[in-house]
Amino acid sequence: MISKKKQILVFIGTILALLALFLFAVNTGSLKVSPMELFNGLFVKYNADVTAIFDLRFPRIMIAIVAGAAIAVSGVLLQAVMKNPLADPGIIGISSGASLAAVLVTAFFPSWYFFTPLIAFLGGLFAFFLVYSLSWKQGLSPLRIILVGVAINAMFTGIMSAFNSGTGSTYAGAASIVNGNITMKTWSDFFTLFVYSAVGLIASLFVVNQCNLLGLEDKTIRSLGIHVNRSRFIVSMIAVLLAGISTAIVGPIGFLGLIVPHIARLFVGNNHKVLIPYTMILGAFTLLFADTLGRVIAQPYEISASIIMSVIGGPFFILLLRGSKNNYGQ
Amino acid sequence: MDNKNTFEIQHLSFAYDRETIIKDISLTLHQGCITTLIGANGCGKSTLFNLLTKNLKPDAGEICLYEKDIKQIKLRDFAKNVAIVHQYNTAPVDLTVEKLVAYGRTPYHRFGRDEDAKKSDEKIKWALEITNTWKYKDKLVSELSGGQKQRVWIAMALAQDTKILFLDEPTTYLDIRYQLQILKLIKTLNREYGLTIVMVLHDINQSLYYSDEIIAMKDGKIVAQGIPEEIINQELVKDIYDVDLKVTQIDEKPFVIPV
Repeated sequence: MISKKKQILVFIGTILALLALFLFAVNTGSLKVSPMELFNGLFVKYNADVTAIFDLRFPRIMIAIVAGAAIAVSGVLLQAVMKNPLADPGIIGISSGASLAAVLVTAFFPSWYFFTPLIAFLGGLFAFFLVYSLSWKQGLSPLRIILVGVAINAMFTGIMSAFNSGTGSTYAGAASIVNGNITMKTWSDFFTLFVYSAVGLIASLFVVNQCNLLGLEDKTIRSLGIHVNRSRFIVSMIAVLLAGISTAIVGPIGFLGLIVPHIARLFVGNNHKVLIPYTMILGAFTLLFADTLGRVIAQPYEISASIIMSVIGGPFFILLLRGSKNNYGQ
Repeated sequence: MDNKNTFEIQHLSFAYDRETIIKDISLTLHQGCITTLIGANGCGKSTLFNLLTKNLKPDAGEICLYEKDIKQIKLRDFAKNVAIVHQYNTAPVDLTVEKLVAYGRTPYHRFGRDEDAKKSDEKIKWALEITNTWKYKDKLVSELSGGQKQRVWIAMALAQDTKILFLDEPTTYLDIRYQLQILKLIKTLNREYGLTIVMVLHDINQSLYYSDEIIAMKDGKIVAQGIPEEIINQELVKDIYDVDLKVTQIDEKPFVIPV
């Protein structure tokens, strides 16, 4: 049991850390401005440096914040639905399904560009139903979900590579939109991401009670008058929406949906009323951190956030598997 | 009131794949009674339990609760009339007893808000007190012993504030002291608070001792229903369990010597 006081402190601490990181990220690169100059340049009077930062750095920072929140919350929701603390949109193939759909639509129907997020959502949905139905055998075994998910993920990633190789990189441009890179993003990318993610994130706050109840046995949930399958369906849809949309804009970012909720559980506990809002903040912080780290670690070159996340996330996943104390046990 | 019926079942049948589990059962469950389903493994008592609690849908026939087909009753409304304690339960590791018992108020929530928060608090408190779990209310469910856990699950069902309580093998996995605690609690709920109890029990003698009415099943059919003293004898035991056991009496209740 984590006391309310500690939860509040953790919330405030993380928000402050996010703000500090934001200011640091804004000021990292060849152009530098003081917070005062930044504020004045944004709201008071024109400043060439601030305008350049606003057009080039702000979109990627804001995208990292929103996508981080979306992917991390997607992870929490999937973990609740599957009663599996190891569920992650990347590991179980939702992100690669979404990527593949986005790549195909960009290659064959470039004029549908605006609908890419929705089509990525459908791709993610397809992957999710494959994993869910193939791992269902009188209930969902946590291990089977992960194994089936890994296979689905490998398959979609393979199809995507085949597509790139088989077309002699003619469509490399299509693939590049989903290679997990947040550089060269514009405000319009941000707005697309923001609109869809806001819907998903707000919806996630309305299912906190369902997520809590899903921690019980299915029959027991039913005995409380809740249609378990309906709840599970709604929560899954929100999770896939969040993962699909962010994949369409920033590409698949592995392990984020796994690591962030796990740390969040340690900090604020498993009550989704607190866990989901906190995961948003911590997810935003983590992806912005990975992106900023990628910008500074090997200057003047950049390492993409997805690579940073994989390098950190891989070992972390193994640690989780080894020490896995099942949150849904007992 | 005494003879009023709760559940009325007519020509109920149910099959898994092609195997018929429940074969044309008709029966009535009486209000204010402790009714226990007994029978050998695979006789269909668990299936009947799940049909009565809306976890399975009948293939034929109907089950009525207060003269209304339960198919027509919304799950939420059903949960306000019937509470169920299932045999196997799990809870998240960091959930406290009080929070878990508060889940029992879920049927009374609308759009995530409690319809009557004051009543909910009273019911939760009552459920914790009657099950003697008030003193653990701030503990984690995962820290409790098997017997304590079972009482907490019963408390959650009681918080639903229903007139009917179903229990699926509530004493399984518990040692004898906790078994008796649970059975005495069930008796109290019935005698002092007027709850209608329907349960599946494994132990035949505990069934005979604590029940007002026994429903004995075999091969998906009911072979006997009635007051334990009137229906239990050596032939019936032979019929349902296929073993020859002597039947004697303890406290004026029938007692099967299980050796």
